[in-house]
Amino acid sequence: MIAVLSVLSILYWWLMAPITSWLPEAVDKAQQIDSLSRFLLASGTALFIIVVGYLLYFSFAFRRRKTDAPDAIGVQIHDNHKLELWWTLIPTIFVVIMAVFSIKIWAGIQLGDNNGMVVEALGHQWFYSFRYPDVHGEITNEMHLPLGVPVTLHVSSYDVIHSFWVPDMRLKADMVPGIINTLRFTPTRPGRYQIICTEFCGTLHGEMNKQYVVIDTPQAYKKWYQGWQQKNAHASDAIPTQSSGAISLAGGDVNAGKMLFTQKCSACHAIAPFAHKVVGPGLKGVLNDPAHPNLVDGAAATPANVAKILQQGYKGDMGQMPNQTANGLTDKDIANLVAFLKSTK
Amino acid sequence: MAVAAVHAGGIADHIHPEPQGFVRKYLFSIDHKIIGIQYLITAGVFLVLGGLLAELIRVQLMNANGGFMTPDTYNEVYSVHGSTMVWLVIIPMLTGGFGNFVFPLQIGARDVAFPWLNMLSFWLFPPAGLMLYGSFLMGAPAAGWTEYPPMSLQGQAGTSMWCAAIFLVGVSSTLTGINFLVTLLKMRAPGMTYTRMPLFCWAQFVTAPLLMIATTALGAALAALFIERQFGVPFFDPTKGGSPLLWQHMFWFYSHPAVYIMILPVFGIVSEVFPTFARKPIFGYKMIAFSSCSIAILGFMVWAHHMFTSGMAPFLQLPFMVLTMLIAIPTGIKIFSWVATLWGGKIHFSTAMLFAIGFIATFTLGGITGVFLAAVPFDLHAHGTYFIVAHLHYVLVGGSLMGIFSGIYFWYPKMTGRLMSEKLGKWSFWLFFIGFNGTFLPMHNMGLLGMPRRVAEYDPQFQTLNRIASSFSFVMTIAILLTIINVLYSIKKGKRAGHNPWNARTLEWQIPSPPHYYNFKHIPSVFANPYDFNEPLPYRGLEEELTDSPAPMGAH
Ligand code: HEM
Ligand SMILES: [Cu+2]
Repeated sequence: MIAVLSVLSILYWWLMAPITSWLPEAVDKAQQIDSLSRFLLASGTALFIIVVGYLLYFSFAFRRRKTDAPDAIGVQIHDNHKLELWWTLIPTIFVVIMAVFSIKIWAGIQLGDNNGMVVEALGHQWFYSFRYPDVHGEITNEMHLPLGVPVTLHVSSYDVIHSFWVPDMRLKADMVPGIINTLRFTPTRPGRYQIICTEFCGTLHGEMNKQYVVIDTPQAYKKWYQGWQQKNAHASDAIPTQSSGAISLAGGDVNAGKMLFTQKCSACHAIAPFAHKVVGPGLKGVLNDPAHPNLVDGAAATPANVAKILQQGYKGDMGQMPNQTANGLTDKDIANLVAFLKSTK
Repeated sequence: MAVAAVHAGGIADHIHPEPQGFVRKYLFSIDHKIIGIQYLITAGVFLVLGGLLAELIRVQLMNANGGFMTPDTYNEVYSVHGSTMVWLVIIPMLTGGFGNFVFPLQIGARDVAFPWLNMLSFWLFPPAGLMLYGSFLMGAPAAGWTEYPPMSLQGQAGTSMWCAAIFLVGVSSTLTGINFLVTLLKMRAPGMTYTRMPLFCWAQFVTAPLLMIATTALGAALAALFIERQFGVPFFDPTKGGSPLLWQHMFWFYSHPAVYIMILPVFGIVSEVFPTFARKPIFGYKMIAFSSCSIAILGFMVWAHHMFTSGMAPFLQLPFMVLTMLIAIPTGIKIFSWVATLWGGKIHFSTAMLFAIGFIATFTLGGITGVFLAAVPFDLHAHGTYFIVAHLHYVLVGGSLMGIFSGIYFWYPKMTGRLMSEKLGKWSFWLFFIGFNGTFLPMHNMGLLGMPRRVAEYDPQFQTLNRIASSFSFVMTIAILLTIINVLYSIKKGKRAGHNPWNARTLEWQIPSPPHYYNFKHIPSVFANPYDFNEPLPYRGLEEELTDSPAPMGAH
């Protein structure tokens, strides 16, 4: 009977009650995750039925009866190596299967390349804002995505840790200040889907669920996108920073700057000539290079202007550089970095 | 002061006269049994307070738009609720409480290795509790029991008080761990080899190093958070060069092993209750002990499974995922062994046994959902939702707390000399079991369908499920109150228990209830595993324990 029940439970989760009957799958990754969830739910329920089934059955069958002597004892066995071997071996095999299955799905979700359109979502206390390529400023109501186009979504935060979760996508990434996390997926089902914050972020954390991802047909998306391009044509790109005003560059420490550079900048910049591009340009001798008297933003290559880019971030053809807050730099750090850049010749 | 005997452990057996007077006897006692009971009573008081906070949470969640408390108050309430239950109830009950009272008796020792240190461990605990609750006066911590920065850096003044309070319980835990480990290594009675130790001793033996090692990481993290909040040294604030993830790593490096601190002793309790009431040797003694060890070791290597969505490098997720899944194997071995212990038994369904059987059922479910969560793709969906709340309550309430209740019904006669009411106990069990499942089972659904945790209000589609959960939670509260009433009532009115009401075979049951000040008149010697019900008891030197012959100097 226990066996029959567990087989039924497997069938139930696999065929009759896939999660999709409650939550639609909005993106390709959701289908992959659901296939794993079905497997887990089915085998977990079967295992539960087996354990609890035997627990109840033994409890009933081996209860002490009225007819038993008060000091009656049970069968005195200590172990059974064959049985123990089996119940170690079978779960081990099962864990291996589960691990392999999980790794396969995991690889499909986590290891893709960053491709398709790049969108950014940023967490605030207590709302989300979105940045799109070639749209100035930030969009603060809905996030639109075109059906069928691969998306690389970068998420981060302005203040405390938030999270970006769309249950219909089955995907979630924490928005950690100073760190950029990435989700990659392709929308597969048009609709409006709630975005929910799952990382406690203060008083109104519970209300951080009022915004939506809208998956549009490509035409509708294009219309929406162009609308924002026009609407925000004159918006400022500068990400608001915590410290404003000019930074004092006095007393910058070359060694401290060098260390910071490896930690915070070297992912995108090499200490190499200007043309050696990683994400942004090579920075060797930026302040002493007669061939490049100007910085990427057109301003003269002076320490103050370099500091300004570090402070405010920069957005241009090559992509976007985080500002002081997003990069976690203090004013002193900026002074040290400028001193270090000056020392490279 | 006389040295009465030197036994095989090699530690001199100092016999001091039993202290007289209330203060030295019951308040600042160095007797492990009194200290154990002090822990249980203090933690019991915090169980009531934490339970009250839990009910406030459930009342707030009756309505989708909350309204019973402001969101800020709600955040304080669930944060102090979680901190209370973990650090002031479950850990102190299982280690300080049952650990202290039971295992020195089971290994035939007169006390723990460092009785004064033991008293210090206990006396760090009530002040910590007072500080945690005192924090309500200055604005309680409100970022959950995990207190992730930068959120906790924004927290009110009480958050620093929280750091200090948890630091104190941490020191208390560490000292207890050292004390227990030395006791188990050095003070076992002659012949009490490692394979003859009752499994409850094994459980404490494996828990002690976890207490010692893991808790230090928590201490460091708490100190850093305190320093950053009070003096601005940036450990965690990213805008000043700190790293919020550093906290998460340090916190979980403690808190994952801590979940085993909260469950391994329960494994020990169940491993005593099952053979006693099934009248059978525990099935697979060695495998149970061995699997505890491997769980403890693996437990140190899986902490980042709490951080899969936080932004760790994808490749780091792999080892944490696979190692976490591996823990299912030793855990499964234990569960199968307990179930097999029932086979062919003559099961007597005392309340202690009912709670132990109930434990197996609910803990199995909690363990299974734990394995689901270990799979990164599943966790990407479930992390931070009510599914996590369901998982952790299945293992902590259905697991640890049910185990604790089983232990209370089992050892109460040894502590007090009286039996608890079985009738009231059975009511308590059934109401608890029904109330518990009714409260937490629906939370799995809420989480998978989209309800995040730690919210003071939620999407109306979840209101029905939440009302079910809240209603059942009142049933569970009544069940807990019944057991507390039972404990209080039975002290004076309970039936006299005699020294061994359950006909159990471990050493603590062979001496009077409650035991003498120095436990044993003569340290017994042991010549076999305790669980063979068809053999005579495997102890020598106990002949005088139940007679009127004089006790060691000063003991009564
Ligand atoms: C087979 C055994 C277990 C496995 C595989 C397991 C796995 C997990 C995983 C992967 C998580 C993280 C989920 C997430 O945050 O996304 C988790 C959370 C948790 N587990 Fe377990 N677990 C197991 C047993 C236990 C036990 C025995 C306890 C305690 C007695 C426990 C207590 C907790 C708690 C308290 C949390 C939530 C922490 C928080 O975020 O506040 N787990 N478990
Ligand atoms: Cu864990």
